[in-house]
Amino acid sequence: MKIKKNLSKLFILLSCILFIVIVPMFFEGYSLMVINLSLIYAIITLGISVMLGMGGQLSFAGLAFMGFGAYFVANFCSGRLGFTIPTLLALVLAPLFCGIVAFLLGLILLKLKGTYFTFATIALVQVCFSFFTNYRPLFGGPDGISEIPSLSVGSFTFSSYNQWFYLSVGILAAVAIVVERIRRTSFGRSLASVRDNDMAALTLGVNVYMSKVKAFALSGVLGALAGAMYAMQGNFVASDLFAYNNATQFIIMAMVGGVNNTFGCIVGSVLITILPEIFRSLERFLQLFYGLAVIVLMVFMPMGMAGVGSQFAKKIKKILGINKLKRSANSTHSKGVSK
Amino acid sequence: MGLNVIVTVLLNGFAMGMIYALIAMGVILLIRAIGVLNFAQGDLLMVGAYITYALQVDMKLPLWLMIPVALLCFAAVALIFMFSIYWPLRNASYPAAIIIATMGASIVIKEIVMLIWGGLPLRMPPLFSNPETGGGRLLTIGSVNLQWQLIITGLVGAAAIGVVFFLFEHLYAGKMLQAASQDKFAAELIGIPTVITTAATYIISISLACIGGYMVGPIFTVSVTLGNLLLRAFAGVIIGGLGNIKGAIIGSLIVGIIEAFASVRISTYKDAVIFLVLLVFLVVRPQGIFGEKIQDKA
Repeated sequence: MKIKKNLSKLFILLSCILFIVIVPMFFEGYSLMVINLSLIYAIITLGISVMLGMGGQLSFAGLAFMGFGAYFVANFCSGRLGFTIPTLLALVLAPLFCGIVAFLLGLILLKLKGTYFTFATIALVQVCFSFFTNYRPLFGGPDGISEIPSLSVGSFTFSSYNQWFYLSVGILAAVAIVVERIRRTSFGRSLASVRDNDMAALTLGVNVYMSKVKAFALSGVLGALAGAMYAMQGNFVASDLFAYNNATQFIIMAMVGGVNNTFGCIVGSVLITILPEIFRSLERFLQLFYGLAVIVLMVFMPMGMAGVGSQFAKKIKKILGINKLKRSANSTHSKGVSK
Repeated sequence: MGLNVIVTVLLNGFAMGMIYALIAMGVILLIRAIGVLNFAQGDLLMVGAYITYALQVDMKLPLWLMIPVALLCFAAVALIFMFSIYWPLRNASYPAAIIIATMGASIVIKEIVMLIWGGLPLRMPPLFSNPETGGGRLLTIGSVNLQWQLIITGLVGAAAIGVVFFLFEHLYAGKMLQAASQDKFAAELIGIPTVITTAATYIISISLACIGGYMVGPIFTVSVTLGNLLLRAFAGVIIGGLGNIKGAIIGSLIVGIIEAFASVRISTYKDAVIFLVLLVFLVVRPQGIFGEKIQDKA
């Protein structure tokens, strides 16, 4: 068990370092911006991983919270309200504010169960989108809000895509570590028990409702953080990003990577953001292949790439003969979602 | 608002509500039978609109021939959909996988339709068209002018829903479908072939959506954006009552009528109004108008 854990940790660490070193060497300008965006999207995907992977609740609300975060920064930092607050403070306040909003919304929405909760989050995305597009005083209407300053700490301003790359990697790593840590706390475990069998969780004394609400608030915080970063990096927010169709994109990212695996979620969002840019030459068939790929992926690897990875690791271990005795004890951990 | 406007708006809302009800009923039938939330239902409605467009405008079939051919096509679409999306995933270890696959299917359907018919909206003639102008014929009662297409939409929707209710409550086949959806394993034990019942559920559910597409085509234009009607149907499902088909139909009608009145007064926010009503319902009466308790089979 120890060997396996260390091996996969080593693999993840190595690939991360490789990624950080290689990417800024080979990419610049637009392509580096796309990579930065994919890292920002990965933060939202991690929020979905907390809700769907840990708690078993399919939620589209991440995109709405991303919108809140982005417009929070846009309003308070661009000076369109008549005053500005420091960008660093905004980057902290936006997730905090959205966390509270998400908590209150969660108290209402999570009275619904399963599929109907999903309907309600779709409604939330739709309401937000329609206000983002139409209400000018706060959201700039269809023109969006421009001239948002980039993040500055003290006298240092993150202005180039290169600097944003390192910043995004740093924040994403911090978020990933927090999420990975939450999996192992009592909160994470109670969420997992809610996902697998809420009745059993209830008899074990888990507060099913509040665990879900907390997870929803957490996904709100992560969504807002991503939104704030998005607004600062692009210096511009427009409402078309927050349409319902894009919300499905994030769910697909999480599922393709492996919804219950932190690293998998990040890989999924990076791949799904970058691959369409690589295959631009397919033009009108691009979306068709994307949809087909999603279906095929779900048919052959419903646990995403992370699921395939862990199966592959098991096979390698079998060949190497490592860990024969402990596999049965280990399986409950590595299996992830059992039902 | 004069009487003319009120009646027209009410009829408009009722007709659109019927369309939403057709989608909502299909969605709920699938949730109850196999526990899958189908995100492609709206796109299947769009496919229905395109199929009927192809039969009616491209191939110029007469109405009596077109309807059975169209129904056969709908059933074929349903079977293709079922065996490509649901069947390979029915034993998936993670239930969300099927839902994600339906999202993928939604993209695929949109793209295939765009490749075949192009992205431009197509104009479909209404059922009773005025031969001089080519537009829809009007029914004039006193000072009120009503569009025949809207009236027919309401009637056809009601008839389709009525047929499904009759099937489920009075026919042996319908009881088999219900039994299979309540407990698949027990149904198999008493000799109900669940493959066939699942296929039948898919055919019914998707045909309802496609009929909606045929009706809605002349009201708007036939285009890929018809798929977005699904979201209104979702709203109707919650407002009516969770998992309750009668409630969902009434909820969808309410959504249609709210939408119609909202688009007269505050058209930019009409989406927001519907979904705000929905959120208010969630706060005040989370079990919906007709729901007794919150439950979810999925």
